[in-house]
Amino acid sequence: MSKIETEVLIIGAGVLGAATARELSRYKVDVTLVEKEVDVGWGITKANVGVVCQGRDTLEFRPEYHRTKLLWKALPLMEPLCKELDVPFKRVGAYLMIRNLARKDKLDKLAKRTESLGLGTDTYLPYSELKKREPFISRDIKGGLYDHAIAVVHPVCLTQALAENAVQNGVNLMLETEVEEIQTGDSYFSVRTNQGEIKTRYIINAAGEWVDKIAAMVNADDFVLFPIKGYVGVLDRDCSELAKSLLAILPEEPGDMNIVVPTVEGNLLFGIQLQINRRHDHSTTEHMARKALENVRKIIPEISEKDIINSFCGYLMFRNFEIGWHECEVAMSSRVSRFVNMTIGYPGVSASPGAALEVVEILRNDGLRLDPNPKFNPYRKGIPDFSVLSEKERKALIKKDPKFGHLVCRCEMVTEGEITEAIKRGATTLDGVKFRVRPGTGRCQGGFCGPRVTRILARELGIPETEVTKAGKGSAVVPLRTKQLLEEGN
Amino acid sequence: MRERSKSLWLIASSREVIKVSRREIVICIGCPMGCRVTVTLGKDGSVTTLKGAECRQGQKYVLNELKNPLRTLTATVRTVDEDFPLLPVRSSRPVPKTLLQPIMRETARIRIKTPVQAGDVVARNVQGSKADLLATTDWSGPGGEG
Amino acid sequence: MVSKVDVAVIGAGPAGLAAAISARERGAERVIIIERAERLGGLLPQCVHNGFGLLYFEKDMTGPEYEKAFVDKANSLKVEFMLETMVIDLNEEGMLTVVNRQQGYKKIKPGAIVLAMGCRERPRGALGIPGERPAGIFTAGTCQRFVNVEGFMPGSRYVVLGSGDIGMIMARRLTLEGAKVEAVVEIMPWPGGLIRNEVQCLHDFGIRLLLEHTITFIHGKRRIKGVTVAKVDRDLRPIKGTERFFPCDCLLISAGLIPENELSKKAGIELDLVTGGPVVDQNRQTSVPGIFAGGNVVQVHDLVDWVSWEAELAGAAAASYADKGKIKRADQIRMVAGENIKYVVPQYISGKDDVTLHLRVSRPGLRANLKVGNILSKRFRSVRPSEMIILDIKAEKLRDARTLKELVVDCKLEGGD
Repeated sequence: MSKIETEVLIIGAGVLGAATARELSRYKVDVTLVEKEVDVGWGITKANVGVVCQGRDTLEFRPEYHRTKLLWKALPLMEPLCKELDVPFKRVGAYLMIRNLARKDKLDKLAKRTESLGLGTDTYLPYSELKKREPFISRDIKGGLYDHAIAVVHPVCLTQALAENAVQNGVNLMLETEVEEIQTGDSYFSVRTNQGEIKTRYIINAAGEWVDKIAAMVNADDFVLFPIKGYVGVLDRDCSELAKSLLAILPEEPGDMNIVVPTVEGNLLFGIQLQINRRHDHSTTEHMARKALENVRKIIPEISEKDIINSFCGYLMFRNFEIGWHECEVAMSSRVSRFVNMTIGYPGVSASPGAALEVVEILRNDGLRLDPNPKFNPYRKGIPDFSVLSEKERKALIKKDPKFGHLVCRCEMVTEGEITEAIKRGATTLDGVKFRVRPGTGRCQGGFCGPRVTRILARELGIPETEVTKAGKGSAVVPLRTKQLLEEGN
Repeated sequence: MRERSKSLWLIASSREVIKVSRREIVICIGCPMGCRVTVTLGKDGSVTTLKGAECRQGQKYVLNELKNPLRTLTATVRTVDEDFPLLPVRSSRPVPKTLLQPIMRETARIRIKTPVQAGDVVARNVQGSKADLLATTDWSGPGGEG
Repeated sequence: MVSKVDVAVIGAGPAGLAAAISARERGAERVIIIERAERLGGLLPQCVHNGFGLLYFEKDMTGPEYEKAFVDKANSLKVEFMLETMVIDLNEEGMLTVVNRQQGYKKIKPGAIVLAMGCRERPRGALGIPGERPAGIFTAGTCQRFVNVEGFMPGSRYVVLGSGDIGMIMARRLTLEGAKVEAVVEIMPWPGGLIRNEVQCLHDFGIRLLLEHTITFIHGKRRIKGVTVAKVDRDLRPIKGTERFFPCDCLLISAGLIPENELSKKAGIELDLVTGGPVVDQNRQTSVPGIFAGGNVVQVHDLVDWVSWEAELAGAAAASYADKGKIKRADQIRMVAGENIKYVVPQYISGKDDVTLHLRVSRPGLRANLKVGNILSKRFRSVRPSEMIILDIKAEKLRDARTLKELVVDCKLEGGD
């Protein structure tokens, strides 16, 4: 077991941890980022629907909330960040709609507040106008507020890009490293992990779903979190035209989320069916799936069960839920010095660039010396996406590397070139490849490309195919060889 | 109907039970018709009547199923080629159902090292069945073109 | 740009091979098959079991043998192949955009096109089974490829969801390969595949077939640990209190096949919502002139023999089209699926020539009376949705129907369900 010393240890390589690591890599400071999974962005981040919002899209919005301030700080940063990291950012706009004219006063109130805060003007559109812009919406919708600023990103791709760029700039990323115990010393923490001990001056707790458990290891859990499980469904590409913008219905009951979100790839996501739940249970349930479908049909009646190609569940860690609504916090623990908790919970992706800046401020104010890193390079080049390239670009790419002329995934049009590049960038599993370059996310869900991607992984990683996993230890894709069982019986 | 035919199937493959005089239905699998053939068996296990088979071959099949059920075994055997690890094979003639598993275990002991053509024998008289295992496709040998 | 291609066939499975051969035999000079995989045969190489060719060759063949017969013939007729080549676009003018390693990115404008892309399996996500998302869930066909071609076993203890043919065939294969198949779970009251497969793949090995059951939950965080199976009511909803846990380290899905028509959509070809394939006339010409289709891309067949047969029609018609610039459309009479009929292919017939109809019933039953308008009726002792009905109609029978615009096909069940 190795022993590592670092100045700042970030626990959790979700979007927050990765953004913080990347922000800190601007400075001459020793940063280690640990992640218990085999890849980055696989916790809460993975289940995020990727909406970049300002936090003024709900009635509970209050300018004095930290959550609001954080989002305002973060919002203008997101688009340039995505440019630097070469990840897709799509401004889709959003309609917050009502099904009952009696609720129009709520929308008016929201619009007025937005305007009085100088956040721009949201326009109210009656059904007739909405119908022109989004022809598939239900007749029951009476009208809605349009917000042009809403955008979407791919949460996992963003996290991968952040982590990649952080590593490029000197951050030490340790995967499959699970924090087991933390001891507090006078000027450092001693962190025991399954990969050995890490001695660190600061700890940034960005453990997402497990942020309270990590905090509890040093008695820094001066907050209570409520795990809220969320169900999200994925629709076939054929349904892409059903919604051009984010479509949401103004919550009819508190906490009742009902949205359709176009992703950067063009699929539609819908949900989010919420329920308070025991953590660690990421299973989808028949009840949630049914409710989510019922709900989405209130927005677009045409959507049917047949259109759903996938579904998943994740957690929103709500803070201060007991007093009415969720609040975000990025703060030094009130009980333990040099221990920073990031309890964003929701909306983590939107808040991440702002939250990272706040961590830097907190560390600076605490006396950490932060001299600029002269070698810092903010740019990271993305993996070419064959499916969206022009004819000319495709030709050039294949000329440079013939692997880009070999299409492995038909549904999403992914080439072998993209898959090998994803592996070079750190994908070691089927899901790792899938979350970088999408083979297996289309309507056949890996039926054709699954065996082929497995073989490419084995070849590129130099391991037997029997050791290739779906998502890390204990999830081998094909653990046995044909005839092995018969031999054992012989 | 379903449950019955299933239990009858088991009866058909077990000689002891056939001794009792009774009416049985055997599903013929000779063609996609799937004829449900009704057979009456005497006390000694001999067939007294046979109804419902659309063709002669079906009748033959049913009688055989009652007496000595045979199956064509198809399987794969290993080669030494990583790019073509398995060679598909079949039995040269139908083999008794009871020999299917023993022959399968034998396939695990075979490894093909030299080129073969479809129809070539890869193992003779497997498990004393008088059937050979025949390659059902060509393999041009290790490092060949598959 | 390649020099003039008369007929381009998309897909080198049983349909593509048969179509290309037939196009060559009908005089098309240059016939090219474009295939995305690294070898010919489509799914045939992984179908190492027998049961192929009974109708076509009147011989019981395995998948590889059936494949070889066609590949040898295609080679002798100098059919050309482009392997590991993906057709990424097909437009209404019949222009193909293809991509591969060697030639990169290119466009081909053949005289005629045959769609022979076959079908794909319905995946798990689409079925929306609640539960975890562990490793160890495969469609039956993907598992078949791993076990029979790639040389890997995804697990040692299986549950199969759906009793489609590939599912039942895999249940047998896995058992033969030394694995344990706990159960085949089918939501409908009847099996999804052929009778012979039910008998030879399940009964032979004592594998349980649980009809009117479904999987209600998938267990296991990293790798699947088991499934909860429950009985369903008449509306196919799980019945509370009937849940049982089946341990397994692998779940296979065999819940039906969907014709692969992404390219057809790009070309703006009219699709039949029931078959999932293009609407075709008697010659297997689609709604876009010059584009033909045959095999599982049109309708999911039970037997590969019919795939070859249908693709030959398409190939022959494509050759004529490429030669003369067009062929007479055979769309004078529309075939309509009436009572207890799920679909009829072809959707249009000429009314002047002999025709073979392929159809499926919606519900199984005994003593069925099948009627085509009032020109033909035929009795069946039993019908099942999983067994395709093939009906030959002679041209003279159709004489009276020539003035009609449509012909309705009905299948009344006189013996009840």
